Amino acid sequence: MTVPLGAYIAVSAVLFFTGCAGVLVRRNAVVILMCVELMLNAANLALVAFSRKYGSIDERGSVFVIFVFVIAAAEVAVGLGIILAAYRNRPVVDVDEIHQMKG
Amino acid sequence: MTFDFVEPVVFALLSIGVIAGGAAVVLLNRITAAALLMAFTFLSMAGMFVLLGAETIAAFQVLIYVGAITVLILYGVMFTKFSDRPRALFFQRQTPIAAVFVAAVAIPVALFSFSFTGAPPRPGGGDLPALATSVFTDFAFPFEIASVLLLAAMVGAIVLTRRDDAEEAAMRRRR
Amino acid sequence: MPVGPFGIDPIIWAPLRLVIAVGLALFLVLNGALLQIYLERKIQAIIQDRLGPYHVGPFGLLQTFADALKLISKEDVRAAATDGWFFVAAPALVFCPMLASSAVLPFAQDIVGANLNIGLLYLTTLGSMTVLGIVIAGWASNNKYALVGGLRSAGQLISYEIPQILALVSVALVVGSLSMLDITRSQSGPFVNVLILPFSFVIYFIAALAETNRTPFDLPEAESELVAGWLTEYSGMRWGTMLALSEYGNVTVVCAIITTLWFGGWQGPGVDAIPLLGVLWFTLKVYAFIVVMMWIRATLPRLRIDQLMSFCWKGLIPMALVNIVAVATLALAFPNSLVPIAIANWALLVLFIAGIPFVQRRRLASLRARARASAAPAVHAAS
Repeated sequence: MTVPLGAYIAVSAVLFFTGCAGVLVRRNAVVILMCVELMLNAANLALVAFSRKYGSIDERGSVFVIFVFVIAAAEVAVGLGIILAAYRNRPVVDVDEIHQMKG
Repeated sequence: MTFDFVEPVVFALLSIGVIAGGAAVVLLNRITAAALLMAFTFLSMAGMFVLLGAETIAAFQVLIYVGAITVLILYGVMFTKFSDRPRALFFQRQTPIAAVFVAAVAIPVALFSFSFTGAPPRPGGGDLPALATSVFTDFAFPFEIASVLLLAAMVGAIVLTRRDDAEEAAMRRRR
Repeated sequence: MPVGPFGIDPIIWAPLRLVIAVGLALFLVLNGALLQIYLERKIQAIIQDRLGPYHVGPFGLLQTFADALKLISKEDVRAAATDGWFFVAAPALVFCPMLASSAVLPFAQDIVGANLNIGLLYLTTLGSMTVLGIVIAGWASNNKYALVGGLRSAGQLISYEIPQILALVSVALVVGSLSMLDITRSQSGPFVNVLILPFSFVIYFIAALAETNRTPFDLPEAESELVAGWLTEYSGMRWGTMLALSEYGNVTVVCAIITTLWFGGWQGPGVDAIPLLGVLWFTLKVYAFIVVMMWIRATLPRLRIDQLMSFCWKGLIPMALVNIVAVATLALAFPNSLVPIAIANWALLVLFIAGIPFVQRRRLASLRARARASAAPAVHAAS
């Protein structure tokens, strides 16, 4: 009794929409970044699950996953840099209050 | 007595871990707890990769996400202060509308995704040799571009967080 | 279907052997830590021309046992302002990756926990999980010194992962596999890998000293710096787990990696006849390296955090990158022979050792120039 492919995709979809809801709903910029990471993870799971559709792992799906890892890491680094630079200017991390481009 | 029941049980436990961790990140007020539960989500995700037979990807997942990205997020949490406030103010004004929208899209998609089927898994030797050959031959050019991207991100993060001369002078005067 | 010995039903044997394996790993780690604490004190004592523990048991062998009993019976002090679950969970986060590493160490010809074909990658991954535990420990103590100590330690660990992984990758390039058993088997007889890749060995040894927080890189846990850093609020068995068990367990794992990759692992005279003799050779080689690390601890002074970081980023990483470029190029250019790689590696090692006096002389000259420049205005102001 093996786990069907659809179950993995369903888990990936639920996680993706959880992260999506988090981005839309939370105020703290760091938490929004964390929810973006959740969405990237969900995409990775879908990629790996689909790469196993024809029996054994197709390596092209895994290569794509590695590139998604690279991009996620780069994005977290630069995103945190932006948050900390903005925090140094005005010590708020609430996205509703960082709405002025001036200063 | 066969051991066939192990795979669905492990899958159920891991998927509970993944989804519960994700929900915790969205719903919890304490950011450090949310960051640690996000790390727990990443670990459960690595377990799912192992269950799918991609153990190299699982190792990279733990190495990159739990080992580096979680620490980065914790640094970000520790250096910014989000003041204590009543619970309702942790969520933005559009929370109810956003929740309705997301649920309206998520539920049909989740139900539809159960319809995907795949071939029964063949026992293989693991994904490392095929992955390694593919990255360094077929996908060598994107691999190099990814390195340049990482270099640009590193330089960008350093430049963004550097203090300029006026701030340096102010800090030195304060000391 | 794993049928157990004496014909035990598979449904019982499968979970039972898992429990036995974890118990065996715990047993090894605990006893290893016990032995290493005693060795450390005796070796430091001998080098410092004093006696060390001699009172409890013959030659003081039961001293660590007595210390462990004392630690376990200590009162569990927890400051009220510490962060609840995190404070309790941090020692586990630091200890568990190290315990999980012992699953892939090859003790003898067929005695290995799990022959993963990504064994080396697995060990690297577990090493990077320790950083999380240390950051949580520093944060949960609700103590400025602990927080700064934790962040410093995390920065040190993350920085030194890079030369560590680059050195391991160079060995994997030469051997062609990431599996620990394959790497050991590829070294036949006296032609161990250190004869081919000595520079990688030196880079990995220095990076491993930093990864396990050993002197000269033990700033995060020194008692005179930052009030014992990220461990400040931990006492009793929590401190015992974090410091003694985790650190000495990490040291054992790192020395086991060094033995497997560069010194032939379990191989030695007489292993073909009696395979179990491999365990003896493996243990002897691992403890030889542990004694070398303790010798270094008793000899060298401590590096400051900025010296530590600049040595990593401006010294070790460029060397590791040059090493890997050389090994990879020569492995492609001469695919059938290991001799060019060996020559290149030994040449790099000689250059490194011979180049140290030049770098030091230049740094001393720049320091002297800077001191003269900052003293001159003071002289003008005084006159």
